[in-house]
Amino acid sequence: MAGAAHPEAMAPRKKGSTRTAPPQTPTTWWSAPRIRTYLLFGATGGVYLLMGFLVLRLAWALGKGPQEWNAALSSLSNPLYIGFHALVLVSLIFVGLRAFGKMMPKMQPRGGPLPVLPAATVRGVIYGAWAVVTLFMVLVLSGVIF
Amino acid sequence: MKHLLLRLEPVIWLLFGAGLSVGTILLTGFVLVVGLGIPMGIVSADALAYPRAHMLASNFIGRVLLLALIALPLWKGAHHLRSLSMDFGGESRDGAVGGLLYLIAAIGSVAGILAVIRL
Repeated sequence: MAGAAHPEAMAPRKKGSTRTAPPQTPTTWWSAPRIRTYLLFGATGGVYLLMGFLVLRLAWALGKGPQEWNAALSSLSNPLYIGFHALVLVSLIFVGLRAFGKMMPKMQPRGGPLPVLPAATVRGVIYGAWAVVTLFMVLVLSGVIF
Repeated sequence: MKHLLLRLEPVIWLLFGAGLSVGTILLTGFVLVVGLGIPMGIVSADALAYPRAHMLASNFIGRVLLLALIALPLWKGAHHLRSLSMDFGGESRDGAVGGLLYLIAAIGSVAGILAVIRL
């Protein structure tokens, strides 16, 4: 039976600073559920960018006159546009739930003059504002008020 | 470019934060009616017939809201796409990608200002 290995058997010939392996990202980093949610949150940026340009197109058509406005509005009946707007709605709800429900309650300034509110209170205030503004926009745009 | 982006970071973050919060809050009702309700026949198209749509959009508050609906999502989108690009190993090309995305958002915002001015 072999004897015990010498504790310095694997030591480098010259003494130097300890070498550590450089950090490496695992190739499956994106597949962890937490990271997937984070990446989806970032990917909503593409949807928002396209939506901004779509509203720009509508505003431009509105400035051009009734014919252009009617054409732009009726083009939204295309199934591709409806599908895109459904995707936008899903993105908005996803961003809202993540940003308003999880991130913003934790982003309160601490150590300042204002008290740190319970997360549920912050969440309730922001969700409430979101619901009220959405209801107001729906009522105005659908012709119920004004 | 990277140096310029670092200098502009407070402005970019302000616009990104506004896009994330205000943009999300404003867009939800807009998408529900203009993007889904009217095209699917749930809301009458007369609600946004040209005279009424123009009346709603051409007053001061309407112009500000319309500009917010255009510009804020652009900045939220540009910044999030930039960070997504960095997540996928784009640290070395961040100056070019970030610069291009913010340029697109800036051009869209200027076009949005022009669009609401000429209403």
